[in-house]
Amino acid sequence: MSPNDVFDLLILSLLILSALAIARMKDLAAAVILFSVYSFALCLLWVHRGAPDVAMTEAAVGAGITAVLFFYTLARTGRKEK
Amino acid sequence: MRNALALVVVIVLAVLMMAGVSQLPPPGSPDGAVHRHVAAHYIDGGKEAAGAPNLVTAVLLNYRALDTYGEVVVIFAALIAVLAVGLAGHSRGPQRQPEELPVSPVVDLVVRLMAPFIALFALFMILEGHVLPGGGFQGGVVLGALMILLGLVLGPRRLRRMLPTPALFWTRAVALLAFALAAGAGLALAGWLFALPEQPWLRELIIVGLELAIGIGAALALVGFYLSLEADRHR
Amino acid sequence: MVILFAIGLYVVLTKQNLVKKIIGLNIMETAVFGLIVTSGMVTGGSPPLLGQGLEPPYASPIAHALVLTGIVVALSVTALALVLIIRVKAECGSIELDELLEPDE
Repeated sequence: MSPNDVFDLLILSLLILSALAIARMKDLAAAVILFSVYSFALCLLWVHRGAPDVAMTEAAVGAGITAVLFFYTLARTGRKEK
Repeated sequence: MRNALALVVVIVLAVLMMAGVSQLPPPGSPDGAVHRHVAAHYIDGGKEAAGAPNLVTAVLLNYRALDTYGEVVVIFAALIAVLAVGLAGHSRGPQRQPEELPVSPVVDLVVRLMAPFIALFALFMILEGHVLPGGGFQGGVVLGALMILLGLVLGPRRLRRMLPTPALFWTRAVALLAFALAAGAGLALAGWLFALPEQPWLRELIIVGLELAIGIGAALALVGFYLSLEADRHR
Repeated sequence: MVILFAIGLYVVLTKQNLVKKIIGLNIMETAVFGLIVTSGMVTGGSPPLLGQGLEPPYASPIAHALVLTGIVVALSVTALALVLIIRVKAECGSIELDELLEPDE
């Protein structure tokens, strides 16, 4: 397999693993941080697929703004999921 | 019980979707069906028709400008809805004095040092968005994130004082108004919406103006989300 | 990509906490954007930017434009949903769906 394919496979498995971990995580603050990890991995995937505009937008929006909004909501509601 | 049923439904749906996706032509070949008709037309004619070497910006602001208008309307409508829910005014418990969390001096110094560079980079992304990858929305989000960061460090009261409310009302609407103006002007002067004038420099100027409007509108919308969420934190 | 969409859908359907549901919704949305960008890519090609020394074949700019608009809409939906969740918590006292659906006494 060429290095391109190996990189693809690594990023995709990181995406799937972090999505599964988000589903299982009961601590919501950790789930939000995992969502930031998922967003950064997705941003790397966009760069690899030749989409720099989408990568910059996804990095700024997913890992930045969405995480901040989620943390403010979690400060207001509970931190653990029952 | 409900979890098991949901798992079964999701697995069935995933199998069906994978069967559907595998019927699509495999991605990556340069002459698949995706790249042939409309995309090839945009790639060939994009630079002259839109005045922007960045083809994604050309598509977003010239060929599919109506979609971008819709996107601006969506973010503006979300801002209106967030403000209309009116978090800051309702409270059920006793009024607490807002506690000021002490910000560590390392964070304070680093943010103050880096803020001008981040603002410069965001502005660069907006203004050069039609040549380099970037564009209005990327720069706008970075600018909004910078303002939120400054609000976290300097305290939200100073942030509110920096953005006076009547001017804030009009500047928030600037993206929407700029788009409506461009569409209307195009319609009046040339006969269809979003028509761009003939001279290349005027064309480029209008595209940069539209990008600036999107950037400022998006940044202020994000600051609006942050301020209304933050005002409720102390209730 | 389909697997990511299915995981997101599972989170939305089964978890009781409303904030977790919104995270699952975001996973679903980004999986769809993944599919769109992947359908427009060219292996070994270059990003759709003229004039920086990149030669054809270019990736499709229409796919990128669609996804950019999609990310903006996803952000707006997430922000509005989170604000509404805060109001639900203030009015009803809980954000677990089980407790919210109990009949009022």
